[in-house]
Order: sequence, then C-alpha cells, then structure tokens
Amino acid sequence: MLTEREQKVARFIQRDISGDKRPFKTLGTVLGMTEEDALNIIKALASQGIVRKFGAVLRHTRAGLTQNAMVVWAVPEDEIDFIGTKLASYREVTHCYERTPSFEEKYNLFSMIHFKGENADDRLRRIADDLGISDYIVLVTEQEFKKVSMEYF
Amino acid sequence: MDAIDRKILNMIQKEFPLETEPYRIMGDRIGLTEDDVFERVMRLKESGVIRRIGAVFDSKKLGYASTLCAAEVPEEKIEDFVAVVNSYRGVTHNYRRRHRYNIWFTFIAPSMEEIERSLEEIRHTTGVVQIISMPATRTFKIDASFDL
Repeated sequence: MLTEREQKVARFIQRDISGDKRPFKTLGTVLGMTEEDALNIIKALASQGIVRKFGAVLRHTRAGLTQNAMVVWAVPEDEIDFIGTKLASYREVTHCYERTPSFEEKYNLFSMIHFKGENADDRLRRIADDLGISDYIVLVTEQEFKKVSMEYF
Repeated sequence: MDAIDRKILNMIQKEFPLETEPYRIMGDRIGLTEDDVFERVMRLKESGVIRRIGAVFDSKKLGYASTLCAAEVPEEKIEDFVAVVNSYRGVTHNYRRRHRYNIWFTFIAPSMEEIERSLEEIRHTTGVVQIISMPATRTFKIDASFDL
C-alpha cells in the first residue's frame, strides 16, 4: 500500500524527530532525497489520513492533568449514536468508542477522560447527568505498565 | 512549566508545522524567536512532558486491526503476566485498573486473527484464561490532545 519511498519516510517519522531544528532537512539527507520531497511525502500521507496527526505526543501526567480515567457506559443500543456523539463533544474526553462485545455484557461505550485540577468526581457526575446515563463505571488507572507508540514499519 | 510552555504545548500537540523551519513558524505565531521555541521544546522533552514529536498513524488505514483487552489476573501473577503481555510489539498501552478485571491493554497487529492467536498464546503461557477482547466497532472520537 505504501510505496518504498513512503515507507522509508514513515519509518523515520513514527519515532521522535525532535532534537533537530530542521528535522525535515535531516530526514532528506538521511534518506537521500530533498527536504521538499520528504515534506511532500509527509503531507501526502497526512492528506490521505494515513498520518492522523503530526505533532507532539505528551505524557499527560507530566503536563498537569492529574486525573485520568477510563469510563465505560451502559447505553441502550438505539441511543448509542446520540450519546456517543454527545460524549465525544466534551473537551475532557479524548477518546470515545463503541466496543463489541460489551464489557460485563452491558458497558458498550468506552471513553478516556482527562481532568484538570480538582473536582473530577463532580465534573463526571455532571457529564453523566447531562447524558442521562446513570449506569457507568470509572476504571481508575492505578499503574502504568506500558505506553509506547506503535512501530508499524 | 509556565504559560508560554503551555501555549507551545497546546499548539505543538495539535500540529507541528510541516515546513523547512518549523520552530521559526511556531515562534512567529506566538511572538518568540526560533531559538526560544526550540530550547523550550527541548526542555519539555527532557523533563518528560513531551514523549515524542512525530507522526501518529491511523492503524485502520494501514490495514491493521486493533482491540482493547481486559484480564482478570490474581495478584501474585500480575508481575509475570504483565511481562509476558508487554513483550508483544503490538501491545502499546498496558495499565492496572481498579476492578475485578484489573489489567487492561491495547493490541495492534496486521490482522484480528493474529491478535487472537497472540491472546491464546498469552493464556497458555501465563495460565490466565480470563482475557476478553473488545474491538471498537465505532469511533466517536480519537484525539489524544489535551487542553492545557
């Protein structure tokens, strides 16, 4: 699916390109192409949506977002469109998916929520009220064992 | 971390300029020199706030399958179980969570069959049989950027 040149670039940009003031020039030099070619390949991958984002990946815990939880919701099947879209619209919600099979046979809507500062419980309760969903579980993160970016190439 | 750092982070986590002089472009946007932005970004990298700068790929568009797994692991087996699970390249996130299902990890592989095979292998190696796989059937939001 990706051309050989695209794969070469992909292998480079799936890792960390910081530490270089002109990263794309370096990329070009390493791969034997011009800086412009390298940039055009990345832009093409981005416009096709193969590269979903080109930017910094943060460690939220170090960035001042202390509360982080996976919250799973039991949503009636015929409301999942509406509720999923609504839940996704909150700023604190960074990920929102419907999953099949459901967890514990009923929790079908999964969200990752990051809270800034205090009152996370209150804020969550308000979101739940707003959604009209009272059956949800907060799966609090107790320990991180692994967090890496996938190396596809 | 100060207000300028936060400004840089809010900008750079959404989009790193695909330009010859990315740091100069970011500096122009917020009234800093190229060197200022670069040095601050380097500091944020060193202190661990920035994990990396680069591309985030859409696994589905690359033809990959992915899933979220939850496992019920007895306390005394957690260490071994986590070591085995983490040894798979496709396991990118793995957390302990407060629930009867206490270990939660994500798995990415070229096909769902390969993921299923790996999970079977993990069950066999660790003796933990209670592992459930819950692939996403619909994505409402996938945007790991935080408003700081």
